[in-house]
Formats: sequence, structure tokens, C-alpha cells
Amino acid sequence: MFYLLNRPRAEAEALAEAIIAVKDRVRLCSRCFSLTEEDPCAICTDVRRDAGLLCVVAEAKDIFSLERTSAFRGRYYVLGGLMSPMDGVGPAQLRVKELIARIGEDAPREVIIATNPNAEGEVTALYLSKLIAPLGISVTRLAYGLPIGGDLDYADEITLAKSLEGRRSL
Amino acid sequence: MRLTGLTLADVRNYSALEFEPVPGVNVLAGPNAQGKSNLLEAIGLLGTGKSFRTSRESELIAWGMPLASVSGTAALAAGTVRLACTLAASAAGTRKIYTVNGGRVGYSHYLGRLRVVTFVPAHLQLVGGPPALRRSLLNAALSQESPAYYAALANYAKHLAQKNALLRGGVSPDEDLLATYDERLVASGTAIVLARRAFIASLDERASPVYRRWAGGADGELHLGYAANVPCDVPTADAVAAAFTQRLADARFAEAQRKTSLVGPHRDDLEFRLGERALAAFGSQGQQRTAVLALKVAEHATLEAYAGEAPLLLLDDVLSELDAERRRAFLEGVAGVEQAFITSTGAVDTPVAATFSVRAARVERVA
Ligand SMILES: Nc1ncnc2c1ncn2[C@@H]1O[C@H](COP(=O)(O)OP(=O)(O)OP(=O)(O)O)[C@@H](O)[C@H]1O
Ligand SMILES: [Mg+2]
Ligand SMILES: [Zn+2]
Repeated sequence: MFYLLNRPRAEAEALAEAIIAVKDRVRLCSRCFSLTEEDPCAICTDVRRDAGLLCVVAEAKDIFSLERTSAFRGRYYVLGGLMSPMDGVGPAQLRVKELIARIGEDAPREVIIATNPNAEGEVTALYLSKLIAPLGISVTRLAYGLPIGGDLDYADEITLAKSLEGRRSL
Repeated sequence: MRLTGLTLADVRNYSALEFEPVPGVNVLAGPNAQGKSNLLEAIGLLGTGKSFRTSRESELIAWGMPLASVSGTAALAAGTVRLACTLAASAAGTRKIYTVNGGRVGYSHYLGRLRVVTFVPAHLQLVGGPPALRRSLLNAALSQESPAYYAALANYAKHLAQKNALLRGGVSPDEDLLATYDERLVASGTAIVLARRAFIASLDERASPVYRRWAGGADGELHLGYAANVPCDVPTADAVAAAFTQRLADARFAEAQRKTSLVGPHRDDLEFRLGERALAAFGSQGQQRTAVLALKVAEHATLEAYAGEAPLLLLDDVLSELDAERRRAFLEGVAGVEQAFITSTGAVDTPVAATFSVRAARVERVA
């Protein structure tokens, strides 16, 4: 803000136009509800991506975090938040019905629920798995783990216990 | 464990204090309103990050100052640790900053390093007061003892608040969502129940002989019992979880009707019995007081047994609550603890490790 006050008016106008352009062009993808300029978005239309893997995230920004890893080659679905009745957010406030419909259409072999490992994320994941599992589709969650480069000494007991629970054979 | 040095800056009536306690019993003596309880409260804050006197933590900041800070060095079995807890008043409430050995940490990494068992006169309400008082005693002790208990408690509280919002109609009713909350409550609630069951069994075993020693046999045996809301007289964790799940299923209709959750360890209680009778209903004032002190001694011994090292014992105005006979018995009982702090308005007649005079926020060793 202070930076802008010290810049020429023309520069501020250019920025304002750019913001309006973004606002006009960016919309929700009708398949995954991520932010996009083209509908459906580039990920939903990319035929090289595995349509048999569907990753459910709370917010569109979570897609960007996961994409940065380049580790996931399936498709996404943005729920639009996490369950929190205290804040007036229940199944009806999230895109739950649409998710079940999408799963019905695409019949992925695996749904990965990538919500945060906090209380709301936990409940949201378990709730969704209650709805999805009866469809005969395998439902998985992100593993809890230790930060890479972290020291076992400094990991808190809860994270350590969770990573023990989620251990894998070598 | 032992506190070896304490520094206060703008805490209550202390603008600046350096205090070097000794091993064993430290008596803080002085007339009323000099800062004895404030000093004890500061030690409790260093250990637990909380005040034993108030939930409005901004009251601990010296009047007119922006920050209060307590720091100290403790000798633990695992080595020396430096702890600090700073309170900062802001429009949004009091912010707390914790450090361990100079590094900033979250509360769950701070709690439990320097453990304390506290007695304040308000604890005399423990026998006759509301169950929430007794649950908070259990929670305070077990949270210091085990990070897993603290995590289960925090998790339980969050899911319970969400479930209650769902039952109140915060969002439209959804059976699957309700079932999800119940499953989470069973998972964290079972851990809470099992920890409380073991802890109370140990309190009971240790408090009875202490009470007998102080009161003689005539009163009858003191017993502490776990009045668990979820029946937990079954051996395994799975069986407790199954009983909890069953209780939730049975209560489902009533919970929907009353729009609140009715089942779980948030409704637990700790019972005091003398012989066959409930102490709250039939005990004299003196019997209740003796029972609370026996409970505190048992809490100290249990935490020591759990961790393999003794927590600090913080006793505010405990002596004025006892007659001469019980006071002597009590002081003899605590004389052997690794470290204790006792406030007193008068001189203490049994030998102690050190006596400090507290006058107008100045603390000086006098004996
Ligand atoms: N935030 C604060 N800033 C400055 N002074 C405070 C603050 N809070 C309390 N005090 C003062 O601290 C004084 C000492 O309180 P404290 O409770 O420690 O007394 P005490 O020595 O335990 O006395 P008693 O024997 O009556 O229990 C009180 O007079 C009170 O006014
Ligand atoms: Mg006092
Ligand atoms: Zn898309």
C-alpha cells in the first residue's frame, strides 16, 4: 500500500486493470472447482493424467501445494472447506453431493483425501470415507509424518506416535 | 526435579526479582499482601504456563506494564533446562510466549518439563464443589504427565464442541456426520478414561494411608473413586471403547432431544468417600480439608512414580488450614520431598531447608 502511494498514477491504473482482468477471467472449473481461466481446467482436460486417481482437497490453494511436488499425476476435487458446525459449515455448505456425483460418473479406483491433519480435517476425511467406501472405491488419506530434515529428538510425541502408526516396511 | 533459579520481570507486584531456592522445603514467610502467593503463582506459571489463581492471565502483568515474564532454570533427571513464559497484553487478549533453552516452542512442547502439584485454599472446594473442579484437577495433573493425554483432551474438546453445535442445529442434521463425531469422541475419550482410571486408582491407594496417619483410624478409611460416565470396569481399551460406543447409541435419542451431548468423560467425576459415606454430604470441614491435602500428597507421589522424578510441591496458605497437630504431621510428611514451596504468615516450627522473608516484593533468605 505504501509502495503504491509513492508510484505514478499510471502504474496504479495498470495494476487495477490487471486485477479486474483476473476477476473477469478467473472462474471455478465446473469439474474440479479449482480456479481456472478455461473451463474445464488444464488438469481436468490433461489426458496424460490418471483419471482413476481422485485427490480431494479443502481449498484450491492446496492443489498448488500438491502440484509443486510433481508426485501426483491424478485429478483433483476441491471441497470448498472443512466440516465445522460451529462455524455453520456442514455437508450442505461443502461440495459433498457434487463429489459423490462426480465419483459416480468417473468411477475412480482410488479417492485420496488430502485434508489437514487437524480435528476438522480428520472429521471431514472420515465423513467422506463413510460416504465413498460403500461405493466400492478405495479411500485413502495422506500419511502423517515427520518433517524431512527434522530431528527425531525435536519431533513432538504426537507426530512421532502418528508416524509410528503409519510406518511402512522397508 | 528442582527449580534452581527464578527471574521475574513485571509479574504482579514484582518489577524485578532474582530468587534462588534451595532443595527441600522453602518457606516463604511474611505478613499479608507482600507477594508470597504472587511468587508461588509465578513458579506455577513457569511450570504449567497457567495461573492457579485466575483464568484472566492479564492480571499477572504488573499494573501499567505491557509484558510480564517469568524465567527459570530447573535441574531435571535429564539435565538442566531453561524455561521462560512471557505474557503480553493486547486488545485481542493475553498472548503467551514459551521458550525452552532459549528456543521458542508451542504450549504442547512446553508443558510437562517442570511439573508442579499445587495446593491453594480454593482447592478445599474440591470435595463439595462442582464436578468440573475435580475434572480439572485430573486434567491438570495428567496433562503435565503425558503429552498424549493433553492431545487427547484437546482433541476431545474440539470434537465435543463441534458435535454440540451440530446437535444445536448449527448446520442441518446429518447422521453420518454425527456418527463421525461420535467415533472421534470414542477414540480420544477412551484414552482419557483409561488414563483417569489408572491415575485415580493410584491416588486412592496412596491417599488412604496418608489420611489414616493424620486422622487416626476413628474417621474410617478415605477412598477416592472414579465415577466414570462411561462404564470402564472392563479390562481392555477395546472393551472401554465398545462400552462408550454403546452408551452413545443408547443416548442418541436423548441427545437429539436435549440438543447437547450427554455421554462421555466430560461428565466424569472423582468421588471422595470416608468409610461407606460420601465425604461431600457427611464429612466435617476438617475431614474435607484433611482429605484434600491427602489427595495432594497422593497426586505428588503418583506423578513421581509415573515419571521417576518428583514434581515441585507448591502450597499456598496450607498451614493456616490445619490445627497444630495436623500441621506438624503434614510438615513431617513433606519434609522429605525433593523440593517444596510453602507460604506462611508466621514462622514454621518444624525444621525446613530455608526460610525466605517476603516483604513488599523483596525476597531475602533469613534462615
Ligand atoms: N498485576 C499486579 N500488579 C501490581 N501489584 C499487584 C498485581 N496483582 C496483585 N498485586 C498486589 O500484590 C500484592 C501481594 O499479593 P499476594 O497475593 O502475593 O500477597 P500474600 O503475600 O500472599 O498475602 P496473604 O498473606 O494475604 O495471602 C497485593 O497487595 C496486590 O495488590
Ligand atoms: Mg497469599
Ligand atoms: Zn478442473
